[in-house]
This record gives sequence, C-alpha cells and structure tokens, in this order.
Amino acid sequence: MSDMAPTTSERGMAAKRRRMTTRSSVVLGEKLAGGIITVGGLMVIVAVLGIMVFLFRVVAPLMTGSELDGNVRHQLDLPGAVVWVNSDEFQTLGVLVDTTGTALTFHVPSGTEVARTELDFNGAQVTSVAGTLERDRVAFGFDDGTVRFSTVGFSSTATARSRMPTGLTRIDARDQMLDGFVYTRVGTGDYRTNSSVIELTSVEQVSDQPIIAIDYRVGGTVERPTIAFATVDASGQVRVSQSRVQINMMTGQETVSTTTTDLPPLGIGADETITGIMMSGTGDRAIVATDAGFIYRYDLRNMDAPSMAERRRVADQGVGVTSLSFLTAEDALVVGMDDGGIAVWFRLQTGTSATTDGREMVRARVHAPMPAAVTDLSESQRSKEFVATDAAGNVWVYHSTSDQVLFRLERSGDLTADARAMLFPRADGVLLVNDTAEFEAWQYTQKHPEVTLKVLFGKIWYEGYGQPAYIWQSTAGTDLSEPKYSLVPLIFGTFKAAFYAMIFAVPIALMAAIYTSEFVDKRVRGTVKPMMEMMESLPTVVLGFIAALVLAPLVEEWIGAVLLGFFALPMGLMIGAFAWQTLPAQTALKYDGFPKFVLMGLSILITAWVAAQLGASLERVLFYGDFKQWTTGRIGTGTPFMFLILLPLSYFVTAWGFRKQFGHHYRDLIAGMDRSRAGMVDAGRWLALLLVAMVLSILVALGLTAIGYDPRGSLIDSYQQRNALVVGFIMAFAVIPNIYTLAEDALNAVPGHLRSASLACGATPWQTARWVVLPTAASGVFSAVMMGMGRAVGETMIVVMAAGNTPIMEWNIFSGLRTLSANIAIELPEAVKDGTNYRVLFLAALTLFIMTFIINTGAELIRQRFRKRAFNL
Amino acid sequence: MTSLNEQQPPASGAAGVAAVAARAAVKPRNRRRYSADLSALGEPALWGFGGALALGIILIAGFLMIVLYNGATTFWPKPIDRVELTDGSVIAGVERRGAIFRPDLPRLTEDQRAEVTENDGFAYRTLYQTANFDLYGDDFQWVADYETANVTQPADFYYFERQVWGVFVGRIASMTIDGQEMDYNPAVMHREQRAARARFQEIRNLERREIGALNYQIERERLNQRRAVLRMGEEAAAATVTASQMRIAELQAEFQDLQQRVNEIRAIDRRYTVTLEEVGGRQITPEMSQIVRYFPANTLNIADKLGIYISRWWEFVSTEPREANTQGGVLPAIFGTVAMTLLMVIFVAPFGVITALYLREYAKQGRITSIVRISVNNLAGVPSIVYGVFGLGFFAYTMGGTIDQLFYPENLPNPTFGKGGILWASLTLALLTVPVVIVATEEALAAVPRSMREGSLACGASKWQTIRYVVLPKALPGIMTGMILAMARGAGEVAPLMLVGVVKLAPALPIDAFYPFIHLDRSFMHLGFHIFDVGFQSRNSEAGKPMVFVTTLLLLALIVTMNATAIIIRNRLKRKYATGQF
Repeated sequence: MSDMAPTTSERGMAAKRRRMTTRSSVVLGEKLAGGIITVGGLMVIVAVLGIMVFLFRVVAPLMTGSELDGNVRHQLDLPGAVVWVNSDEFQTLGVLVDTTGTALTFHVPSGTEVARTELDFNGAQVTSVAGTLERDRVAFGFDDGTVRFSTVGFSSTATARSRMPTGLTRIDARDQMLDGFVYTRVGTGDYRTNSSVIELTSVEQVSDQPIIAIDYRVGGTVERPTIAFATVDASGQVRVSQSRVQINMMTGQETVSTTTTDLPPLGIGADETITGIMMSGTGDRAIVATDAGFIYRYDLRNMDAPSMAERRRVADQGVGVTSLSFLTAEDALVVGMDDGGIAVWFRLQTGTSATTDGREMVRARVHAPMPAAVTDLSESQRSKEFVATDAAGNVWVYHSTSDQVLFRLERSGDLTADARAMLFPRADGVLLVNDTAEFEAWQYTQKHPEVTLKVLFGKIWYEGYGQPAYIWQSTAGTDLSEPKYSLVPLIFGTFKAAFYAMIFAVPIALMAAIYTSEFVDKRVRGTVKPMMEMMESLPTVVLGFIAALVLAPLVEEWIGAVLLGFFALPMGLMIGAFAWQTLPAQTALKYDGFPKFVLMGLSILITAWVAAQLGASLERVLFYGDFKQWTTGRIGTGTPFMFLILLPLSYFVTAWGFRKQFGHHYRDLIAGMDRSRAGMVDAGRWLALLLVAMVLSILVALGLTAIGYDPRGSLIDSYQQRNALVVGFIMAFAVIPNIYTLAEDALNAVPGHLRSASLACGATPWQTARWVVLPTAASGVFSAVMMGMGRAVGETMIVVMAAGNTPIMEWNIFSGLRTLSANIAIELPEAVKDGTNYRVLFLAALTLFIMTFIINTGAELIRQRFRKRAFNL
Repeated sequence: MTSLNEQQPPASGAAGVAAVAARAAVKPRNRRRYSADLSALGEPALWGFGGALALGIILIAGFLMIVLYNGATTFWPKPIDRVELTDGSVIAGVERRGAIFRPDLPRLTEDQRAEVTENDGFAYRTLYQTANFDLYGDDFQWVADYETANVTQPADFYYFERQVWGVFVGRIASMTIDGQEMDYNPAVMHREQRAARARFQEIRNLERREIGALNYQIERERLNQRRAVLRMGEEAAAATVTASQMRIAELQAEFQDLQQRVNEIRAIDRRYTVTLEEVGGRQITPEMSQIVRYFPANTLNIADKLGIYISRWWEFVSTEPREANTQGGVLPAIFGTVAMTLLMVIFVAPFGVITALYLREYAKQGRITSIVRISVNNLAGVPSIVYGVFGLGFFAYTMGGTIDQLFYPENLPNPTFGKGGILWASLTLALLTVPVVIVATEEALAAVPRSMREGSLACGASKWQTIRYVVLPKALPGIMTGMILAMARGAGEVAPLMLVGVVKLAPALPIDAFYPFIHLDRSFMHLGFHIFDVGFQSRNSEAGKPMVFVTTLLLLALIVTMNATAIIIRNRLKRKYATGQF
C-alpha cells in the first residue's frame, strides 16, 4: 500500500494535472474569518478599556477648572455716586441707582443706556443701602432717618416673531431695543423681551438720625410676605422693624403694618464704628460688625424681649470688620476684614454658658486672604459662592464649601473710586460698578466649582455641623442647602458590607469546598456542585427582598437566638464530632460518608432549634432581658458581650497552650487506648478546655470592663432593623456559591498523584487534605476569595433593599450603611445629565470599577500562575 | 516542608508508637499498634467542614422553601375572621401572620398587664387584613391576643377584590339590577357581576385598542408635520401640514364617536350596583363592574377554593397590574423580561462565540490571551451597577442622543432613543453576560475531540472550514448552554436595568400592533424590578408582600428552569464526549 501510493499519485498527476491551488473564495473566507475573529476576540479588551475610558471622560470635567470667557468695560453717566446695582439672569440688562435717586437701566454687553427712571428721594441723601438675596427689593437709608423701599427688578416675557414692533434700534449683533425694552432672539426664532421694573414702594421713618447701616429681608410666602429690616442710626441705636402685608381678600387692598423695636444698646466704645449689620430672613437674629474686629449678635426669637446674645472678636487685634454677608440659606456668615482676611462663621448650638442662648459663633472656614482690605462682599443667589473686592482693585470669586478662589479678577480704571460688585444671578459672571458709574462685567463658565478632591475625599466643615466631617448628602429638601459630596462614607459602607459578608461567606464557602472536593464521593459532589452553581445565578433582588422583608424582622424578633446560634452551631458540630469519636472504629468506618453527612446536617438543625428555644433566656441572662435596650448603652455593662466575643479566642489560646504543654503526654496517653475509650477521653479533654476557656473569657471580659472598656458605642451600638448583620448574612448567601465553585475548582485541579502519594505514605485523608492538597491549591483558593470579595463590593440590590441606606461611618454591626453601588442605584435615575451629582455618581462608578478591577485582575493573575504550577506538578 | 515536621504528629500510628517507645524505653517493642492517632483523623475539623457544606445546603433549601411556600399559598383563599375585642369593638379580616412583641405596659388594663407580665413582658399579636381602605384609611390591623375576646367565622362574610381601592371585606346588603333595588340573590349577583365584568372589559378594549390606536395616529401625524417643517422649512411644508391637519380632524371625529360609545356603556354600567356593608355597619355602593372577584370566604368547599386559586393564578399571569402593582397580574413584566432577554441573546451570542473562538482556535497562548482572559474575568467581575452607569451614559445619552438628533429631530426635546429603553437595556446586559457565554463556549470548544479536527484538516479542509463544519456543530449544544446561562443571569439582573429603561408601569409594550411593531426605544417592565418596586416603593408594602412572593416564585421558577436545562445539557454533553473520546 505504502509503496503503491506515490506511483498512483504520480500517474494521476501526469494524466490530469490536478490543480493544487486552493480556491480563492476559500482563501478569502479564511482570511475574513481569521480577521473578524481576531478583532472580535480583542474587542473584549476594548470593552473593558472602553468602559473605563468612558467613565473617566464623564468624570474628568469635575476636576477641570473654570474658564473666563471675556469682559467689557463701559462708562455710564449718572449725577450722583452709585449705591446699588442689579442685573437680570441673562446678563442682558443692568440697573444702577445713585444717591440722587436716578435709576439707569443699561444694556450690559454694550453699555448702551436703555432707560432712565427717577426715584423720588425727596432731597435726602442716601447713607446706607441693602437688598434682598435676589437684589430686586432694596431698602435705602437716608440722612434724615427715613428708610425708603424700592423695587429694582426685571421682567422677562416672550414675544412671538409675528408680533414684534417696528422701529427697533439695534444695539449689537444679538439684541435690539425700543422704549426701554430689549429684544433678544432665542433658538425658536421668537424673541425674549427684557425690561427693568423700578418703583419706589414705601417710606418709613425709623429714626431722627442718619441711618448708617441697614439690612433688609423678605420672608413668608408670596401671598403673605413678611418684611423685616434692621437699621443702625448715627447714635448707634439698633432697631429692628417688621412689616406684615395683609391683603384683603374682598377688596384686594394691601395694608402694611410695621412695628419697630429698639434693641438693647451695643455698648461699644467711642472709637469703635459700626461697619455693617446683617439680619436673618426669619427675623430671629441680627448681627452688627464694628471696625474694632467684633461682631455683636442679637437673639430676636422673642421680639418682645430682644437680647444681646453674644459679643465675639472675629478678627485679630487691630483688625476691623469691613463687610458682612450671609451665604444662601443664611447659616454661614462671611466676614471680610481690613487686613484682607475672609472667614466664614457658623452659629452653632454648643450649649455654652458664655452666651445667653447657648449658641455661639464659631469660625468654620478661613478662605484665602485678599491682598488688601476687603471693601465689599456679595453672595451668589444660587450657590455657596460670593464675590469680594479689596482696596487694591482685586475682585475675587470664592466658593465657600470647596474653599477655592474660582477667579482672581482685577479692576481696571479708577481705583480710587469705591466699587461694588455682584454675581450675576446664574453665577456666570461678575458685574462691578464704581462710584463714577463706570462698570465692568466679566463673563465666565464654571463647571463644577463645588467639587474638589478635598470635597470628595476630605473632611469638610459643612453648615450646621459642629465639626468637619465626611458627609454624603447630594440633595436636600431645599435648593439653598449645601450639597455634600464626600465619597468616603460610601466607600466605608462598601467595605463594611463586604467585610461582614466575607466574615460569613469565607469560612462556610471554603470549608464546604474542601469537604466537597476531598471527603465526599462523586455522586454527592455531582448533585451539590450544580446546586451551588444554580445559587450563583439567583437574582439578588430576590435575596434582597427576603433579607429586608422576611429576615430583618425575624432577626429583630429573635436576636437572642441569632446571637446564640453563632456559638451554638459550631458547638453542636463539635459535640457531634466528639461523640462520633467515641464510636468503635468498625462502626465509624461503616457509617462514614453519607450517613455521617446526614448526621452533621441533623446536628445543625438540632442546635438551631435549641438556640431558638434558649434565645430569650440568653437575652435574660446576659443582656438584662432586652438586647436592643442593652445595645443603646443605657442598661448593663459590656461584659456579657465581651465574654461572647472573647470565647472563641480564649478557646484557641487554651487549646494551643494545652497542646504546647501537654500535647505529647496526652498523645502518649490515648495512643494506648482503643478507639471508643480514646474518644471519650478526648471528649473529656475538650469539655475541660471549653470550661477553662469560658472562665478565661469571663475574667478577661470583667478585666476589660474594669478598666473602662465598653464595646458599645463602637462595634456595637443601637439596633436598627435593616443592619449590617442582615446585609452581611444575605450577601454571604450571594457570595458563597461564587467562592465555593472557584475554590472547589482549584482544589480539584490539584493532581491526583499528589493525593495518592500522600495516602500511600500512610497519611489519613484529613492529613492529605490539610498538608498536601490545601497548600498546593492555596493560591487558587485565595483567588477565589478575592473574586468573592469583588462581588461583595459591587453587590447592589441586596444593599439597596436591606441596608437602610444611611451614609454613616460606624462599624456598628447593628446599624445600616450605604454603599457606592446602592448610592448610584438610588440617585442616578434622578440626577440631571451632566450635572454635578451626575458626574460625582459616575465617579462613584469609576471608583467601584477600579476597586473591582484591581481585585479581579489580581485574582486572575494569581489563578493563571496557579494553573501553570498545578499543570507542571 | 520543615513546618510540616515540626507541628505535625507522626503521620502514621507506627511511627507514633516508635517515637513513644523511644522516649519511654521501659515499654518492650514487641507489639506494633496500627490504630491511628485521633488528631490524625481530624474528626472535629471534618465535622466543621461537613457542617459548613450542610449549612450551605440547609440555607439554600430553607430559602427555596420560604419562597415556594409563601408564593404557592398566597392565592389560596383564606377564611375571614370576625374578631370581637375586649373594648367592645369588632373587626373583620383575613389573618395574615403573627408575631411576638413587647407591649407598652402602662397603656394596658390591669388584667392585661398581669397576663403580659407573666409572659416576661412579651405577648403575641396577629395581623389582620381588614381591607376596606376607602373606609378605614388602612388595610391592616394588629390585634394582640390579650385584646381578643371572641373570634368567629360568620358564613355571610364575603371577600371582594375590587378594581380600585383594593379588597373589601363585609356582607352584601342589597343589590341594584338595572336601576331596580332588590335583595341579595347569589345566582343573580353571580350572573350580573359577570355581565358587568364583560362590559368593563369592553370599555377597556375600546379605550386601549381603538382609542389608543387613534391617539397613536394623531401623535404620528403631529410628528410628521414637525418633521416636514424641520426638513423643508415652513413654507414648503405648508401642504403637508394642511393635509395632516385634516387627517387629525378626521381622527378626532372618530375619537368622539368612540368616546360616545364608551359613555353609553358606562351609563348602563351605573345602573348595576351592589351595596356592601362592612362589619361595623357602614355601607358603600360600588358598581358591579368594579368587582373583579368575590366569594363567601367562610363557606367555600375545597373545589371552590381550588377554582379561586386557579383563577387567581390565571389572572396573575394573564392580566395587567392594578392598584399600584399590588394587585392584578404581571403580564407586562413577564413580557418585558422575556423580550429583553431574547434581545440580549441576539447581541451576546456572536460576541461571546467569536471571543471564545479567538481564545481557543486562533490566538497563540501567551501574553495576549492572558490579557484577554484578564479582560473577560474583569467583565465578569465588574459590578452590574457599573454596567448600568455605562449603559445610561454611553448607550442612552451618547449613542441615543446622537440617533435622536439624526433621525428623530421632530420629537426633540423629548428623547426617543436618548433615554433608557429596551434596546439599551439589552445591550447593557449583553455586555454583562458576555463572559458567561465565552466561558461556556470555550468549554464546549475544548471538549471537541482533537481527532475530529485533525481528521477534518487531514482531509484538506481549511481552518475556518474545520471550525465551521466540524467544531462548531459539535460544540453547539455547549454554546447553547452558555446562552441559556446568560439568559438566566440576564433575567435576574435588576440593578443596571434601573438605570437603563425599566419602569414601574409601562403604558405600552415594546411590541404592539402599530408600525413598526417593535419599539426598541420603549421602556419596559421587568419581573425583578417589579419585586423591588412593589416590595419597597409602594404605598403599602404590607399589601404588596403576597404579590412580591408570587412574583419571586415566578422569577425563580423561570431562572431555575433555565439553569437546570443548561446544566442537564452540559452533563449530557460531558457524558457523550467522555465516552466518545477514546
């Protein structure tokens, strides 16, 4: 046959000349398939990198700085010195009011005059001025002791293209104007019509002396506004006036009733001059600042008996306060000083006796100082920003929460003229006007000024808090509150949940895996393994539901039994094991295997039942009858709990000590006995050791209590129904199958000849497993644990449903937590696209991704090395 | 290995005895004992290990039992208890569950306090579903056993499941048939209630199908107008706009007709009512069509109960939810889950198989494959919520936003694809489940005997031809296993879906009778999310709890079936190749 073949083939070739080339379609198909499959295979890498890059790209704008878009400067014409400035939210119109009562409306980009209104100031000179947060309601204080109220606001309406008036004057490329109205073309082709609304509303006589400082607040509802203003006159008398506007429902007539209260005297020295007054919108406090560096705080909660609550030095000796401003929500007071310093003060409830109301002003933040004396402060209407001007012409925009100077602008023009600045309502620019009616406007784009690395990962002193803290609270009831974006409590929660889950999962999963791989026969393994694999794909939403609505109430009701269970289950198994040892060798061998396994299961069920029966007694004996009361720290001592916690530890210490001291003697002793007798002696030894351990544990616990250690307050604290214990337990349920299958695979991959060799040398299966299989598979088993950890870190639904979702930082096993993943699931559906919260949540996702990436890559590298090694063995 | 020698007792009994003999030289060395040292057997450790496995199995079994028991018994009709309390008041309701609690002692009477104190300060209480939310403002009431005076099960109490307001528990006082008030007659009531339900169904069909279709067409006309204006400019599109406005007018006339018909049926409906009386004597008079199901809970025989049980299950799998998802069925959720999962498989299959082919057949084992494997492993290990974030940001906002600008400008600023939807959800889940398919396919490819490949190559087939005609067909069942496992994983995943398109109540299914029939941009309902929503987001999670258990049972059944199928296929394959290898 073999010598025939060449000849036939030669003959065939000679006869037919068979074509030996492959058809081109096959070659093409081959190349195409190879190409597609290679590219497709590498797509996995692209996918992983793509996810990372995409997340990073969304997150990146958080960290990029803000950009200055440009500025304009124009000279306007006013008879008096400018006292008030306002602008609309589109940066289209601005209004200046001067000391003579002339209100000039102008077009901001071009400096074109749009309208001029005269307010009737009746010849009096403006000596002080204040406006509300929105700046559209202004109070002017005069040298004759009167206060005049005025509206300096804007109106914006839409005008359809077809209804546009004729005869418009073009101001610039975008805007046209007519009769005090400015028309701006918007995206739909229609026009936005802006105009100013300026009128004098009322006059109040509050003093016979010039008003040197004033503050003005409007609170209440739109239907029933409450107007409050605080004044200081030249004699140093501080007054607070409150007006109530009542609208008659029948006639629609408004009646304004004003009550003015003289506040107790400040008691300041002759050389001390008042530089400012601030009042809260709720009318419960007023603050006066002086050039001696003091602020005086009035407690106005009871208007019938106002009191001076506190006098506090806020600046160094010889440094005066030049200006005050509240940030939005009026919890934070910004103080500007004549050495350029800027600090933020909170009024905190400290229970101090130094003040009359138990609260005190506390300096919470010190911002970057300005080069020269601060001359003016003005807060943003929407965020925790403010703009400060100094005597050297610097105009700095600060963000208070994130402690940044966002923009360092510089005035040009006449630096000797006093200037006042405001932030445009949308916080997208600064409008600065000096006394000579020269204005300068800067426009900028800022992306996420409230977020810095410090905000995300550091401690920040937030408004209303007693000290700097890590807080996550991205949204709150009102727009005015400070968003708090610290990821630290979320990362903490993630690790807390994972930690408690791993405490449950790792021992159970690994021990079960070792048992399955080494000690049961193939048939049992064939059913158990797929069952565990099926568990792996159990929807976690189901686990979470069971955890929150079934397990959590159950654990709360049976907490005593649950605690007891942690000790009873191992104990029950040990009792079973020592009882088994007393069986004669023949019997033990006969029923080894499945019957023994059933016995193990039974012993678990029995001990669980016993624990349930004794749970209430345990609570009575160890926890003074009520465990939940006990956790709050109100009753009893920490001793019982310490005893329980220390019990396993002291058992190990005792057992180890026994083995070190008497190990050899003991082995000699029982080596001579037959199986069941040896078993009985061994059981006796175990019980004795246990007893010693209990005594030891009690002694140590008592000792620790004696030196004043109580676990409550840290590891143990007040009980919440949805807590880390429940989450840890159910999450372990989700993680166990993962660790189990991977660890079992690793153990199984240990070559059979190693086992055979060990057994042949006379080692028992236990010795083989402990000293041969486990060390060989250790890296694989470790990688399984890491993968389980990765899963626990990213688990979402269980935590969302069962963890209570409180972003707090305490290790208390009985309190809730919030993880990165749960936070994303809860907040991202509500987050505005490309908003700060949206990007911070993407950052949370990126953090999670990187955390699991490190864990998984590490695990996979270890596993690949293990595989190679196991293969070489 | 030195540590082994130090800590470990001699490995065999023989050596141990030798050591003992050496130390205590008095003993003659004549009899060697072969009994192993107890510590060598490691019995306590073995029990610990075995116990862990047993515990795992017990937990799994217990978990499945809880779900199975609660899910399976929810629809079984239960009797109504009339409970007289010691303070003289009377309630009626269905017993839901009981619990031990710690009563507030100062608020109890003298006798009660004595009773509770005797029990260590604990007492037992029962939760009754008193229903009648419209009258009581609550569905449930706890009754402590020291408050209970007398419990009876009167025969004339009925259990009503209503279209709105949930359940009513009480008697039937009278009924009004065609405007004629008369005494309660079971047969007439039964007949008329069914007729009323038929009318209700008719109205619903009119509203859903026909009026729904009209609304849909009107909306399309409106969008057509806008599209024309956007494409051609206002002047050029004038003709199109006029035409479509005429069409809209026509449609609106049709709409009026239908509305008229609905109103007529409603008018008839109002003439058939039933007056119900709760245990305290207060009455309500709902229309008969509002009563979905009613039965005398205390006089049912086993056949009746079985009938109700089956009819409730049927309602559950075949109708839409009502009462904020706590009642009714889950058909849209089943539909959404299945549709999303199937769509996912379409995306995941090629990607997974190609990657597995690359790893097994094309790539040289080395650094690149190692990186690919790490990537696969990472894809499997990245938390699912991160996929959700990616899906929302990349698929929905970036890709969807671009599609909207290019193809659906007329609907802007309302997004069409630029929001969560079934397409994006299935793409996201495809990414999530691709490792499952890769691993399973790799296994299947590895199981194809080398001899078969070599045979094919020896016959002159090219590499791709071998794969295409020999390897893949042989590996197909294994690949299918991977698909099924991926589906099981995908069907159970909820967290990412919450971000990319799942909703608590979808007004329209992703597949319907309107062109283009498959609406990949639509949001959908999902069984897993349904569980979360009803259990945690609804007004009354206690009322929704039974529903959650049933939904859970359904979802678990779905997933367990898929997994079991996959495992059976895989085991069969293993056996086949194990014998076929040699």
